[in-house]
Amino acid sequence: MSYDRAITVFSPDGHLFQVDYAQEAVKKGSTAVGVRGKNVVVLGVEKKIVAKLQEDRTVRKICSLDDNVFMAFAGLTADARIIVNRARVECQSHRLTVEDPATVEYITRYISSIKQRYTQSNGRRPFGISSLIVGFDFDGTPHLYQTDPSGTYHAWKANAIGRSAKTVREFLEKNYKEDMESDTDTIKLAIRALLEVVQSGGKNIELAIMKRDESMKMLAQEEIEEYVTAIETEKQKKT
Amino acid sequence: MATFFGEVLSVYSRAVEEDDEDLDDENEDEQIHRAIEEKREVHIAWCPEVAQSLEGKLQCSELIIAVGTNAAGFLSAYVLNTESWDAVGHASLWNERSRGSSRQSIAPLPGEPACLFYRHRDNPAVLVCQSTCYIAEDQLFQWTEKVFGCLQKRGLSVMVLSDSPVAEYKTPDYLYGSAVPFLRSLKSSASKSQALCPALEQPNILTGLPAAVLSHCQVHQIPAVLYQCYTDVISPDSITMETYKPALLCLSKLVKLEPCLSADVLRKFAIITEAQSNLYT
Repeated sequence: MSYDRAITVFSPDGHLFQVDYAQEAVKKGSTAVGVRGKNVVVLGVEKKIVAKLQEDRTVRKICSLDDNVFMAFAGLTADARIIVNRARVECQSHRLTVEDPATVEYITRYISSIKQRYTQSNGRRPFGISSLIVGFDFDGTPHLYQTDPSGTYHAWKANAIGRSAKTVREFLEKNYKEDMESDTDTIKLAIRALLEVVQSGGKNIELAIMKRDESMKMLAQEEIEEYVTAIETEKQKKT
Repeated sequence: MATFFGEVLSVYSRAVEEDDEDLDDENEDEQIHRAIEEKREVHIAWCPEVAQSLEGKLQCSELIIAVGTNAAGFLSAYVLNTESWDAVGHASLWNERSRGSSRQSIAPLPGEPACLFYRHRDNPAVLVCQSTCYIAEDQLFQWTEKVFGCLQKRGLSVMVLSDSPVAEYKTPDYLYGSAVPFLRSLKSSASKSQALCPALEQPNILTGLPAAVLSHCQVHQIPAVLYQCYTDVISPDSITMETYKPALLCLSKLVKLEPCLSADVLRKFAIITEAQSNLYT
């Protein structure tokens, strides 16, 4: 196909092949799942296997953008770093200009605009990442947004990106309940969704939560194991 | 011809063959061609026991060829993992992408791209070939002729397992991520067995060593079946290797196989590349 050479060229049937191929790059990243509860937002990711001599803490899929917003990505690591850096700067710029923290929608729109620009520029390729952006606005509303390499963004109640995203999304569709009051239920849903696709259980999961008016908290491995044990007990009770 | 200044120049006419000067050039050309041919020759080296029995041809009822790292990895994990296989030979060749000829008589080191032959101890009529080195187009015919030249044609049946990137799979439908990796088969007309997966659809074609082997089998009416695995991963990967499992059904009739292989053994072949790739998170 000759229409996939340059990003700025449409194919006769209206495709931008480079954008489609960028979506394939996203599928090569490990799974990330986001769930929006009533009082808490949760992001869970499948931990990547690191080499023996590599520092574990420098391989992070979940990054905070500001005190009220954080995100997880799937796809090309280096592209994600650029997006995260620019978003962080924009969050501070917004605070200084407007004297208010940026809303989740604002920063999502900013990230998506950068991504879209790279689908319309000469000689540049699109960003090979999708991201899940979660947080609370200053009025206390929780949000979850998903962006993709084409520069589109949408709000979701729960979503997954990366490898096996389809399987996880189907699980979420079956098990998501509207207005989950309990924080524990929201966290458990994210963990259960990840356990569908993550090999070897809880030790390969990383989880970050944010409650209203609190900053982001990464759950410790022991806490995650506790949730996993509780989930397994519930499963056994059902069968 | 006479020039304006009165000199006479001897001009070569292409209509007439002038033997004297051209002979040297031809010799030089011939020498260069011969040197290149020698360099690119395919050498099959068998171990002493097999070389002896090659006075006649090698008795072989089943030849299994794996082309590519995932196919070779699958055979290493599921078939060659049991103790009952002996390394009986290797093919060495040189081309721009496979520079192995410096060690013709010595077997290639483990982990190096190579073309190795194994024979089952209890059933010496079963031969396995793992080919992970690149064989250039001009060497494919030689390879095929030399290898099949050592085998007795009667009663021979061939199975080829081959890797291919899914980007080269042409289909009018959109391939969803969950469908990859998948198998497609191709058979020679002499093959009467049922293939265990759908046949390769047009306009997809085979290239390289699998194509050379299958063509040879078709021409010489040897029953042959090929399983091509289309995968989206460029490095050895345990999920891709597992896709070849249906081929085990045919093989298990001949040789004892590792029954339920643990995923750990498969991952042993794949884990090195996984940890080192920081490109995707």
